[in-house]
Amino acid sequence: MGIQDIIEGKKQWRAHVARIKALPPDYRIVYKEMQKYLFKVGPVGLADGPLLPGIVDFFEEGVAAGKGVLELIGADVAAFCDGLVKDSPTYADGYRESVGGESGAHEK
Amino acid sequence: MDDLTEMLKGTLEGCVLEIIGSEETYGYAITRRLNELGFADVIEGTVYTILLRLERNGLVRVTKRPSGVGPPRKFYALNDAGREELATFWAKWQYVSTRINRLKEGGR
Amino acid sequence: MNFWETVTGSDLTRDWKAFETRAEALPDDHRAAWGQIKEHLSPHGDFTGRNLTPILDAALGLLEEAAADGQSAHEVLGDDIPGFCTALVGGEGSRTYRDRWREQLNRNVARKLNRLGG
Repeated sequence: MGIQDIIEGKKQWRAHVARIKALPPDYRIVYKEMQKYLFKVGPVGLADGPLLPGIVDFFEEGVAAGKGVLELIGADVAAFCDGLVKDSPTYADGYRESVGGESGAHEK
Repeated sequence: MDDLTEMLKGTLEGCVLEIIGSEETYGYAITRRLNELGFADVIEGTVYTILLRLERNGLVRVTKRPSGVGPPRKFYALNDAGREELATFWAKWQYVSTRINRLKEGGR
Repeated sequence: MNFWETVTGSDLTRDWKAFETRAEALPDDHRAAWGQIKEHLSPHGDFTGRNLTPILDAALGLLEEAAADGQSAHEVLGDDIPGFCTALVGGEGSRTYRDRWREQLNRNVARKLNRLGG
């Protein structure tokens, strides 16, 4: 990663954070909890990929339509998150490949 | 009918493909269409995760268009790969449903 | 990554240095957790440790987020840091961990939205 990437990345991330701050409180709470969960699950490219900004796009549409956040995504927020990352490889998958073995606990 | 979630798993994606296949449309309209069909439990969040996967798997063409209210909307249309996937879905559906019906009618 | 970097691992050194710079900016509590995470993850590394880079990056990102939100390291990682690390690399018991995270997510959301509603 070059210096340029780091600066650009930061700038983009800051813009992203500003959008989250502008969401109504219920959306903001749910977004933050989701992001924490997603960081733990660790789908590849989470920090600089389109997934997180995409969620904010989707949430902004929900806000514009006058919906509550759970009305939009359902009360089972974890299920919604799992739907978001279904079929996408996680860092753990990459790791398992690198050690060349099956450690058994494949998420599906 | 309530509690269709488990049963709809795996077929909902096909339904979304079919809806997109008949005309270019967006998430909320797809959700409403499914609700009108009688799948009352389907919420926007579920449709969003399906659309995200279709996009990730290169089955749809996505265009952002301004909407009357709020932020721009993402419109989805099938591309060639998407049409192929849709055809495969209906073939599979045909296969499964004929066999299940046969089972119910006690035939062989 | 060019050939030279692959051979010398100099791209790695740079990654690890960048991690340490980020870690230095963390509050004490979070930096201590980072130290523990590194320690528990290192046995999982391959010869160069390259396979761990994205996992470490994600873990550090999590700590940074927690710090920015004013949450303690304990609040996001729980009691069992070794277990957390195993789950990060997808090892034994990672499914149980994911279930626990899932429950934690829904519980936190319910609690915080509840508090919001008064």
